[in-house]
Formats: sequence, C-alpha cells, structure tokens
Amino acid sequence: METKGLDHTELANQIIDVIVKEGMVDREKATLDATIESLDLKSIDIVMILTAIEDKFDVYIPMDGPFHEARNIGDLVDAIAAYVGKEKN
Amino acid sequence: MADARRIVVTGMGAVSAAGIGAPALWQAARDGRSCVGEARFARPYRGRIRIAAQVQEFDPASYLTAIELPFCDPVTQYLLVAADEAVAQAGLAFAKPMGPRTATIIGTGVGGMHTMENSLYLTLVEQGRPDPLAIPRHIASAGPSQASIRFGSTGPCFAVASACSSATQAIGMGAHLIRSGFVDRAIVGGTEDCITNSTMLAWEALRVLTPDTCRPFSKNRNGMVIGAGAAVFILEEAELARARGAEALAEIAGYGTSADAKDPVRPDAQGAAACMRHALADAAVEGEEIDYVNAHGTGTTSNDATEAEALRLVFGNRLSNLPVSSTKPIHGHALGAAGALELVVTIGAVRENVAPPTINWREADAKCPVDAVPNVARPMPIHTALTNSFAFGGINASLVVRRAEAA
Repeated sequence: METKGLDHTELANQIIDVIVKEGMVDREKATLDATIESLDLKSIDIVMILTAIEDKFDVYIPMDGPFHEARNIGDLVDAIAAYVGKEKN
Repeated sequence: MADARRIVVTGMGAVSAAGIGAPALWQAARDGRSCVGEARFARPYRGRIRIAAQVQEFDPASYLTAIELPFCDPVTQYLLVAADEAVAQAGLAFAKPMGPRTATIIGTGVGGMHTMENSLYLTLVEQGRPDPLAIPRHIASAGPSQASIRFGSTGPCFAVASACSSATQAIGMGAHLIRSGFVDRAIVGGTEDCITNSTMLAWEALRVLTPDTCRPFSKNRNGMVIGAGAAVFILEEAELARARGAEALAEIAGYGTSADAKDPVRPDAQGAAACMRHALADAAVEGEEIDYVNAHGTGTTSNDATEAEALRLVFGNRLSNLPVSSTKPIHGHALGAAGALELVVTIGAVRENVAPPTINWREADAKCPVDAVPNVARPMPIHTALTNSFAFGGINASLVVRRAEAA
C-alpha cells in the first residue's frame, strides 16, 4: 500500500460524503461549486464535518486553517484534502 | 434615571490566574502581563491544546475551615476567598449577619465541574463508592448558598447560569433588585473553573481554542484561551452606603441584556448591539459619553468580527476613536466568571484613568475596525465605561460603569 493512498478524486468524494452526512445536505446539491451559504452550512456544521474527517482519516485538522475563507464545497474539500494529504505523507 | 436609587460598588475581590486579590488582577491587566501558561490536570491529559489561565498555587486550607472545605468545589473556594476580600473592603466584615435586605447572586456557567468530573470518574471508571457530598458541592447554586451562609445574607439567593454572560447578568440583576427597592445590598459576581480533562477536550473539539497565542481583534487570530477564577462585588444603594461612611469604588449605572434568538453558537451583531443599547438607556447615557469599552473579545474569528460590527451599530463613526480592549489574553476567558473578572478590570480602568491594553495584537483586521489599545496601556480620562459579555445560546449582557461621585 502506498503511503499516499487515495487519489484526489476519490478523496474528494469521500470528503463530500462526510459533508453530506454531517452537514445534513442533499447529495445531489453538494457539488464542488455549491456555496456554503446555499447549503446553509453554519460554523458548527463545519466543526462537525472536521471532527468526522479527523475520525475517518485519523488526522488532526487545526482550527486555524483556511476554512473561514472557504466559499464553496470545492474550497472546503481542498482545505481538508491538504491536511489529509499532509499527514499521510 | 435621575430620581432612581443609585447603586455603588463598595468592595471587590478576586481569585484569578493573576493570583489572590482584585489588585493583582487589575495590575496584570493594566501592565499587559499574561497569566497564561501550561495547564495542570488531575489525570494524564491527551489534548493537543494545553495552555490556560489557570488558578495555581491556591491553597484553600489557608482560607477555609475543615468543616467548610468538604462542601466546597474549587469554584466555591475561589468565590468565598474573593467574597471575603470584597466584604472586608466594604467595611462589612463585622456586619454579619447581613440579614434579609442583602441578596446573594452569583453567576457560573457550569458550577462544580471538578466535582462532577471526579464523581463520574470515581463511579463509572473506578466503580467506587460515591462521595455523599458530591451533589451539594457540584450544584450550580453551591456558590451563592455557601456565601449566604458565610455572611448571613438571608435575602434573595440564586445562581445565574447563562454560560459566558452569567456573571454580568448576576451583577446586573443585583443592581436592579437594589434599584427597585427589593433589597438594599447585594453580594454579586461569578465563579468558574472548567480547566478539567473532559471540559478542555470538549472545548478543543469545538475548535475555538488557540493552540498558541490569543490575540483579540488582530488579523490572523486563531482562538481563545480558557481562564478560571472568581470575582465578587458588594453593591449597595448609594445613600445607604454614604450614610454608613463606605467609600464608593464606582457606580453601576446601567445594565442591559438581550437574547439573539437565532443560533446556539453563532453570535449575532444585532442582538449584541441591542444589549449595549439597553445598557446605555438603562444608565441614561449617550454613546458619546462612553470613554472606554472592555470587550467580550474572545479572540475567535467569529466573536471579534461580530462584536466589532455590533459596536459599529451602536457607536457609528465614533468607533474608530473609541478605545475597545480585550483583557482575555491576560486572565483568559473565564466563561461564567468572565464578566466578573472583567468588571474588576473595568473598575480599575475608571479609577486609575488607564485603558488596559489588548496584548498580543499584531496587525489590524479589516473585519475588526476598532481601536484595540494595542499592546500598551493608555492613560486617558475614563469617566464612564461599558463592559460586554456574550454567551453561547445567544445571551448577551452589558454593564455601564461610572466613576463614583465624590461624597
């Protein structure tokens, strides 16, 4: 098994799965360009998503990351993927 | 409220990370000396964030008797030590019992958290016999109850539990009970110590704690630092205080409180602004009369930007010239006790004409357009000040503090 493990698309899909479950949003609405506002994701939803990501990937995501600047699901996935990738490497 | 009964503070006391005593707390805040350090825990700690403004080197047996101690969680210990200081300064040490015209109202977010955690560990993990005094020790009202017993204050006695607005609401309620004539004197304040294994882990999980440095209103701030302690004030009707020759340290001129009625965790500028406006109206002062604001200023991205927006709604263009500082990087965010510790600081600012600094401030944030008194205390005339507390659940509370008129 390679240390890098997942490719980006697969990782993005797994992250979106978590966003859908923890953020309680419809899967079909959770596209990469869907804004956080349009999905009504609040800061506490982001906290729940990050916590679930930590559990799922066994990583630590500090709260001083770029999450406050994330505008859409794509930004959020990129921000999270950066930490998952970092720790896996 | 020109013809209304006025309320003065005749004594205050504190236990905090700065040590024992209100002067120690005020001096640390004024001098910008942070009391944040490595936290100590009762059991091995697995959290990533280990800094806090903890009460350390505090020996309760130096202050309380062997009969009192089994009933006292650390929050009650801090409270009684702070209350003894306040009562002594008010010149009431020999006025016991204080009787039915004295209220005892103390804010706490949780109550005896150390006792609760120890009880759960003992009964669930160790399968041990429960401590029969665990419940009288951990209930949120243990603090005000023990204080009423200590001082013989047989008037209204209750705890206020509104998370981080608890102490400010307790102080405001005490002031209003005096103003309405329900009582003549009130022992008020707040106490908290949630620096325990489980609570610190839970705060870390909320992602609002800074892993390194608390820098309110500064760009790239990354969270708050938890504090602990207690502060107590003796409030009295001004004429009665004067008649017995007590010195007024400051006047509690107004109190405001509001609920956002919106979100359990996300602060709201409209709700906070309404709260400050209520406090100004209650004190019958205009925004222009406020010389200094001791902000809630937790150092989280969300609170500071929202509080700055709320201040803009209340003070308008004047905001850029209004000193607004947060002293939380010094004494930590003491949660249910926060408003009490910060009232000690606010009264210090009014009495010494010094705006205490927001330490650790590095760079202006466009989302926080306030004069944060960065890093260095500012001597300036302070006649009237505002102090804010905002809580999870959207509960807001503010007090207007005025320099006491010369007798």
